Amino acid sequence: MAVSTVYTTQSLNSTCSISTPAKTHLGFHQKQVVFYRRTSKKGSSSGSGSGSGSGSCVITCSAGDSQTVVIGLAADSGCGKSTFMRRLTSVFGGAAEPPKGGNPDSNTLISDMTTVICLDDYHSLDRTGRKEKGVTALDPRANDFDLMYEQVKAIKNGVAVDKPIYNHVTGLLDPPELIKPPKILVIEGLHPMFDERVRDLLDFSIYLDISNEVKFAWKIQRDMAERGHSLESIKASIEARKPDFDAYIDPQKKYADAVIEVLPTQLIPDDNEGKVLRVRLIMKEGVKNFSPVYLFDEGSTISWIPCGRKLTCSYPGIKFHYAPDSYFGNEVSILEMDGQFDRLDELIYVESHLSNISTKFYGEVTQQMLKHADFPGSNNGTGLFQTIVGLKIRDLYEQITSSKTAAPLEATKA
Amino acid sequence: MATLSSLSLVTTRAVANVPDTTVKVPYLNQPWKRVSQLGCRRMQAFRAVRAAPDGISEKVEKSIKEAQEACSDDPASGECVAAWDEVEELSAAASHARDKNKDSDPLENYCKDNPETDECRTYDN
Repeated sequence: MAVSTVYTTQSLNSTCSISTPAKTHLGFHQKQVVFYRRTSKKGSSSGSGSGSGSGSCVITCSAGDSQTVVIGLAADSGCGKSTFMRRLTSVFGGAAEPPKGGNPDSNTLISDMTTVICLDDYHSLDRTGRKEKGVTALDPRANDFDLMYEQVKAIKNGVAVDKPIYNHVTGLLDPPELIKPPKILVIEGLHPMFDERVRDLLDFSIYLDISNEVKFAWKIQRDMAERGHSLESIKASIEARKPDFDAYIDPQKKYADAVIEVLPTQLIPDDNEGKVLRVRLIMKEGVKNFSPVYLFDEGSTISWIPCGRKLTCSYPGIKFHYAPDSYFGNEVSILEMDGQFDRLDELIYVESHLSNISTKFYGEVTQQMLKHADFPGSNNGTGLFQTIVGLKIRDLYEQITSSKTAAPLEATKA
Repeated sequence: MATLSSLSLVTTRAVANVPDTTVKVPYLNQPWKRVSQLGCRRMQAFRAVRAAPDGISEKVEKSIKEAQEACSDDPASGECVAAWDEVEELSAAASHARDKNKDSDPLENYCKDNPETDECRTYDN
């Protein structure tokens, strides 16, 4: 139950603006910021003003712990961020949907526990602005990192913010929408880890690293249904963006706590269809509240082919590899899967041999993968590792919230 | 032929419940035009199901042409790169719009917002 106490002083003519908690039964513990203004003799009767005239104060009421857990997800466009988001919100329960009654082109997704913010909303230049200056959206000059930092910091501290909306259809910046602090905030986009201040706010960060061949194959799948697109135009588009991508986006992977790297398979020689994928989950060691997944024996090097006497797989089969390694100067553990799942029992067999996957019951990974069997990647390592990272984030969230103490109530005078 | 007709039936139902779809089927109201326009109208309806909503699809097409023009002078210039970036952005938006339209069932959408209306009431016992 959400309890919020407001301390009032005498002679208070309150024009309080309290945002009503949206979901009740889960107990939204939010810090509400209340603005009030003492009316003076010749005062106007307009709505709540912050800092208008003398004697206007800010009372912050905070009920219980209000620290939001912030997760960052970085990936180029067309790389599976949306699919990852849907899997992640599903692990926490419920489907994430755009805010009801707001801008229909909003990029924000809200579910009971999570809110997903698209960092494209912090573009400082809209489409025409970028065309004039000749910069891509990947360029830091097209993004307002100061605003991003301030708003993410505010949400993390439990203060609702008015976040701008970048309309992908029109290419313009629309009027802002109100974002109330959720329990888990996910910021997804091109630059979550680019700015150092924003990086420090993240409790966990993930980077989706798709290799060039796989990216090309995925974009072909996505765009060939559109008239106007051809193989050459898709190729030209990828290559034109590559310099900016390599300069600004790719370096973020060394800061990520978990990197999901997608490469072409090694099981099929000369495969260029990109249907079977080799996926590597690179997990940084020593991250607070995060213990990497391992196979059989933590810290050793294991190569495992589950197909054999107990399990029969069809071509090309499944191959696992686990090893400690070094990645951009950081100690990491890499769990790798090559191949694809054809049957349910392959999935449950593999799950029963992985350790430290933070499931609450046996078969939870399999259940989550089956729940979204229509999502792309549900039969290979991308879906598996995305689901496992989702469970790891749930575990991280529970560890953080159980070690929290209630924030004290405070009243400050302006 | 049977599949084409069932497709056009689906789109007309969508038009009845969700007035903001862009599939136009005027021949229903003007049956005398039906014979001549039947062929191309059905082709248009069929194409709309496969590609994104018309507005976005046209934008994608236009942006590709513009990018090809911008890059014909100087492939390494800022304008060329920005133009292809715009193509990428619009293609992503088109793909999202396609996914959204593919999943959406007009009756389910209506009932999500109005569960008490007659069409949407469910009886458990």
